[in-house]
Amino acid sequence: MNNTILWYTTRGAGTVSLVLLSTVVVLGVLSSLRFESSSWPRFLTTGLHRNVALTTLVFLALHIVTAVVDPFTHLGWLAALVPFSSYYRTFWLGLGVIAFELLIAISVTSLARGLIGHSAWRAIHWLTYASWPVAVLHGFGTGTDTWSAWMLAIDLVCILAVAVAVSARLIARPPDPLAADRARFRERVTRKVTR
Amino acid sequence: MTTLGLLAGPPYSAGPESYRDHVARLGARPAGNRALIDTLDRSGLVGRGGASFPVGIKWKSVQSRSRGDAVVIANGAEGEPLSRKDQTLMALRPHLVIDGALLAADAVRANRILLYVGEAHASSLAAMSRALAERPAADVRRLVLLPAPASYVAGEATAAVHFVNAGIATPTATPPRPYESGVDGKPTLVQNVESLAHAALIARNGDGWFRSLGRNEAAGTVLLTVSGAVAKPGVVEVPCGSTIDEVLALAGGVRGTARAVLLGGYFGGWISARQAGTILLDPKALPAAGGSLGCGIVSVLDEAADPLEVSARIMQHLANESAAQCGPCFFGLKSLSTATSRLAARRPDDGDLPHLHRWTAMVKGRGACRHPDGAVAFLQSALKVFESEFAAASGTRGRKAS
Repeated sequence: MNNTILWYTTRGAGTVSLVLLSTVVVLGVLSSLRFESSSWPRFLTTGLHRNVALTTLVFLALHIVTAVVDPFTHLGWLAALVPFSSYYRTFWLGLGVIAFELLIAISVTSLARGLIGHSAWRAIHWLTYASWPVAVLHGFGTGTDTWSAWMLAIDLVCILAVAVAVSARLIARPPDPLAADRARFRERVTRKVTR
Repeated sequence: MTTLGLLAGPPYSAGPESYRDHVARLGARPAGNRALIDTLDRSGLVGRGGASFPVGIKWKSVQSRSRGDAVVIANGAEGEPLSRKDQTLMALRPHLVIDGALLAADAVRANRILLYVGEAHASSLAAMSRALAERPAADVRRLVLLPAPASYVAGEATAAVHFVNAGIATPTATPPRPYESGVDGKPTLVQNVESLAHAALIARNGDGWFRSLGRNEAAGTVLLTVSGAVAKPGVVEVPCGSTIDEVLALAGGVRGTARAVLLGGYFGGWISARQAGTILLDPKALPAAGGSLGCGIVSVLDEAADPLEVSARIMQHLANESAAQCGPCFFGLKSLSTATSRLAARRPDDGDLPHLHRWTAMVKGRGACRHPDGAVAFLQSALKVFESEFAAASGTRGRKAS
């Protein structure tokens, strides 16, 4: 295969992954905020969150595989799996490996949520807040296109979107539409238990 | 009726069997140990609470985790509105249930037993509490009678555990399941009272005896609550593998013409009367045939009744019994129930019938417990068996959707 095509694919897929991952984070925050409107039902948020997340993994795989097989880089598979083992941009590339492996953990536990239980899933899902910034730093540090105007614009939009979503999450207590009904039901089935 | 099995012995009219009569009739309680679990395994006994899970496997999973500190919950909450069999069993044979609970505790190495009995079932509570008073002190030390709140989900295994732990009878997310971490974090066996009573007899008579009670390759007997359009509604004990026709004959036969049979309970399903008669009531084989014995409900709907109205009422009950913990269950069942009610009133909104088909698929599997799944399975059976009625109701000119 043409080396140039591989190299362009690595860069393109990396950029697309960043955009998709940021979208996933924003959608995740929106779903925990229980965002909805008349034209945007809540299941749309969770459905998109899940599907865009899986799509992100596809582009990440493309990003990594094309980088590794590119004969020009001589990265090798080890560099893609073990953080900071790459001779090339050791630190910045290592960040990418960490972000990717965190995402794998988050995805696998999400798919196996029924097996591991809600609380374990939730604890691991918090790692998203580690994975995303590390991925952004990886892009800044090692990106070939970092200082081009269009890439800066993409970075800026992604960071702003996530920042706004996370701030909204920090400020607003998500409304619980079931709180009143749940309280009413609980009252019905609550007793003082002596055993 | 049967001369061997749970309801063998004195007739219904004799009331609860005393401890002395119980021991005189059946002998002392045998040992509860690892060998008993193997016997239960071989007997083919499956749980009678609704899920038909093999009893031996369940006991083994608690026994292997227990450090002598496991807990047994004898589940007699019986929140299913059509079911009477647990109440009847506890009111007539309380000592058989208690024997089963003690055997389970010994076999899984538990040091506490909670008798979880529906608070609305007064005669069962009275019989169980009187039975406890008759028991030797060594037994009573381990036993506690705990009235269960009257609600549909209170008898769900995690809800029972949650109630014991926190006094709130609502289901909790799994895992962990009760056999991993239940009461006070200890491995906990939650077993229906009928299953425990069967175990008490199997411990005495052996697995071969239990298997020989069944028919058509099924094992043992089962308690059924027969209701609806039959001459003599009530609780009957029949060999597993009996046909629905045989059960209906025991209940005095159908009044009028049967249209359909509700099998399993509110979380079971409708079967058209044409197909129902020859179906074998075998808790193990029914799931493969797309049905479920559930908690042993056989309820007959006659031609005079409106199947849509009856189905809508059941959906409404299930929607009201959602613990409001999971959105898809609470909102989903409410929407399904409202649309079904509009169809039953023959005043549907545009799209109600297609919505029922779409929404059932969207609700399934999205609750912490199986409550929404059970409700959806019930509604899907109604949509199938009463397809023409639903189609006719949907075609009725109704008000426009806004």
